[in-house]
Amino acid sequence: MQHLILSLSPTSVPGTLVTNTVLVGGVALLHVLFATFLIGSCTLVALSEGISMVTKDERHERLARSLVHAWGYIFSTGAAIAIFFVVFVLVGMWGRFFVSFQQFTFWVWFFEALTFVGEIVLLYTLYANWERLRAYRLARLGMVLLLNIDQWFQMFLIDVIASQMLTPTVQGATDNISYMLQFLNPTNLPLTIHRTIGNIAWAGALVALVSAFQYLRVTRREEAPALVPRQRSVVRALGAMPEGELVRERNREAAYWDWAGQWGMLFAFGLTIIQIWVGYSYAKEIQLHSLDSWYQMMYGWISNIFLAQFAGLGLIFIFGVAYFWQRLKAAGQHTVARRHQIALILLILLWLFGIQPAWFAGSYPDIVAAHLAKPFWDGGLEDPFGFFFPWKVMVLIADLLIALYALWSYIRARVRTPMTMGQATRSSQRLLIGMAVVVGLMMLIMGIIRESSRSPYLVNQNITISHQVILQQPAPNIPLSQRPIGP
Amino acid sequence: MRDRTVGSEVPVPAEPEEKGDFIGLVPAPIVGPFRRSWAWFDDRTGITGLLYKGLYEAVPKQGGWAYTLGSATLVVIIVQFFTGIFLLLDYVPSVTNAYSSLLYLRTDDLFGDWIRGIHLWGAYVLMLLIGVHALRTFISASYKKPRELNWISGVMLFFLVLAMAITGAMLPWDQAAYWTATVVTNIPHYLPVIGNGVRTLWRGGNFVGPVTLTRTFALHIWVLPALLLGLIGGHLYLLRRHGEFGSWVNYRTTTDNPAREIAERIRHAEPPYPTRGTEPLYSVPSETVDFFPDQLFKDTVVSLVLVVFIFVMGLISGAPLDGPANPATLTYVPTPEWFYLPLDQLLVFFPTQLVGFGVFVIVGIGATLMLALPFIDRNPDRHPIRRPDVLVPAFFFIGTVIYLALLGVNRLYNL
Ligand code: HEM
Repeated sequence: MQHLILSLSPTSVPGTLVTNTVLVGGVALLHVLFATFLIGSCTLVALSEGISMVTKDERHERLARSLVHAWGYIFSTGAAIAIFFVVFVLVGMWGRFFVSFQQFTFWVWFFEALTFVGEIVLLYTLYANWERLRAYRLARLGMVLLLNIDQWFQMFLIDVIASQMLTPTVQGATDNISYMLQFLNPTNLPLTIHRTIGNIAWAGALVALVSAFQYLRVTRREEAPALVPRQRSVVRALGAMPEGELVRERNREAAYWDWAGQWGMLFAFGLTIIQIWVGYSYAKEIQLHSLDSWYQMMYGWISNIFLAQFAGLGLIFIFGVAYFWQRLKAAGQHTVARRHQIALILLILLWLFGIQPAWFAGSYPDIVAAHLAKPFWDGGLEDPFGFFFPWKVMVLIADLLIALYALWSYIRARVRTPMTMGQATRSSQRLLIGMAVVVGLMMLIMGIIRESSRSPYLVNQNITISHQVILQQPAPNIPLSQRPIGP
Repeated sequence: MRDRTVGSEVPVPAEPEEKGDFIGLVPAPIVGPFRRSWAWFDDRTGITGLLYKGLYEAVPKQGGWAYTLGSATLVVIIVQFFTGIFLLLDYVPSVTNAYSSLLYLRTDDLFGDWIRGIHLWGAYVLMLLIGVHALRTFISASYKKPRELNWISGVMLFFLVLAMAITGAMLPWDQAAYWTATVVTNIPHYLPVIGNGVRTLWRGGNFVGPVTLTRTFALHIWVLPALLLGLIGGHLYLLRRHGEFGSWVNYRTTTDNPAREIAERIRHAEPPYPTRGTEPLYSVPSETVDFFPDQLFKDTVVSLVLVVFIFVMGLISGAPLDGPANPATLTYVPTPEWFYLPLDQLLVFFPTQLVGFGVFVIVGIGATLMLALPFIDRNPDRHPIRRPDVLVPAFFFIGTVIYLALLGVNRLYNL
């Protein structure tokens, strides 16, 4: 019977190279948005739960509870996408790559699968029993920490795979390389740190986004009399809730969402500051170890997407500092607010300077080919002020210092003079939404940059995307007797 | 306070009886013959009183293990001084003889190689200890009023120890030392205006050569240690002046009237510690123990474990010696010591145009912020959870340093 299966020609996979690449990328990115939120929010839950245990702050307890409740939906959806991704998309479209790659990274996948078991056990237990486990808070926190460890490990393992594709340890010899070398491949460390930080920032951004929407909902003027979500129908039906109680409830809700939005945004903003140079160090390792990919990112067509990424980064800081400014103003802290206003102006100016393209064409090789690689004032298509070295690096350093200052002075103002929650302006909440959208877009753009920078390779210098097409064609008709049996 | 009986043959040390006579702890047959000499000596120097003062100081009951880090740092520094003196018995500070003098020490001198190993491992442990000690005083908010100068002298000690490490690394004049000297003495030239002058001064010319070694040697064995000793003295004096009460756990109160609770504690505190009212509202831990034997016991345990570790590692791992310095090699890749990896990695990251900026502005800002910390954070709150305005930026800073070090390791691994 095994002979029969060998004699079958693989049927062709529907779609073309382009459509399949887009499908693979699309599903992967979708999965990433879910998985990263899950990992990041797990850290936020541990923090909030820990803080609420020390300080008895009910807001932290509520935030942790809501996030854990969200996990049930998010994990199941994200996991379903992941399974679909591996089983149908990867094996179906890029089977050749996936199977061969899976073979030499076998144990990485194996442990990756084990972490899923751990995740399922812990996450669903917490999700289904969060309230019941409140009687054993320390044990519950312990489980959250375990889940964190499990998920970090999970991410670390998948990073081994991802970084291995970009900077394979031994170029050109993917089989028989040691697992130690795989773990310590040049970009695994920066990628892991980059993603760990990014996940928490992304989770923070989503918390800010949801809170901002809720705050806007709660404080909508025309809705004011019937704002409490579950009591709305009750109020309408019976008119049962006294007006004063309703307003108090509304204010409580507004205070909570104002606080939660700010809490989430502090993570999104603060951790993005670190990303500046963690990302930089990541790019540096790519430059040192996969120069072609680096060249594509910095000088090829992807450089345009990279520029969009650069612009997005600046926007996060702009939205963030604008939020700080608005929030401090609303709290009556005018001196500090003014400092943030100045920081905001500086950030905008830096942003405008930083988003200049370095050449007015699709890519650098284009202007070289056209013999126009000279400054535009000499009749060329080059814009020397748009180059990464030193100008954009200087913008990044200045952004970093200003953002760090803004974050520090905001936290300090908050610590020195307690802020009454619930007085945020509605426009400040729109800034939070704007920031969260930019963070989300950057997550997607980042994926596109990394995956396309290897093009045409899937594993750099080892296997190309077009190798997959071979599977899509019927195998040559080798007589049965000449076919190899077994591997 | 001294209660001496005029004309009596045996002066009686007159410290509070309930503290116990620590000389009495030593078995009589041992101490007996020395009693009279001790009395004579004490009469001239007041040593007993000093020892009492030193040993029976009140220290907080809580957190004793965390306070062992400072004394362990001191002990390891002392180990460094002693092993350093032994190394000096062989070492010749000249480019022609430094390397061969170490070869001699290695092969012909009994224990020579072990001593070198101890000196190196001592340096490693010292770096780690000083970092952890600084971290503990930072997290526990010990740098706050009135201990600002404890902190500042500490930071300066930290810089001095770093300087000791880097100058020491250049002395063997093997390949590693030579190329470290080349890279490190080059760093000052990134400074604007005076940069080239400083480099020339250190190198004794445009290039690394004989004078570079002599000057670095002078720094390592005389200039820096003198500063180090002076500063340690100051650091310890300040510690005694304000008491070992900087940590936030000592300020914890249990009633809802903290001011009153602390006022009560001050009223019941033992003289002469805690401090003489420099900090009326915050000065006394709820419970204290005597430095001797409680704290000293813990200090001894930790220091002993570390010293044994250093001795063992010095023996089994020792200190490496490359081939002799060869300025003509082109292939040698200098690998910095682990505690310099963060700085080295910064050098790798900054594009040539910005190295000066990167090294001096970024590192300069970091150093200044560290020194100025007690003046930036003047909020009297000491509990870590109520100090996010300093802990968050510090988290950035520490995270950055650790990440740079890890990147450095990863980079060296993938060379
Ligand atoms: C040669 C290096 C050093 C030596 C020998 C040393 C020694 C000591 C000793 C013996 C103590 C008392 C025990 C303890 O709290 O651990 C102490 C306390 C202290 N040290 Fe250091 N230290 C050194 C470096 C540093 C550094 C680098 C810092 C900070 C950057 C620092 C800041 C402090 C502070 C603030 C205290 C007071 C702690 C309190 O009262 O709670 N020291 N030091």
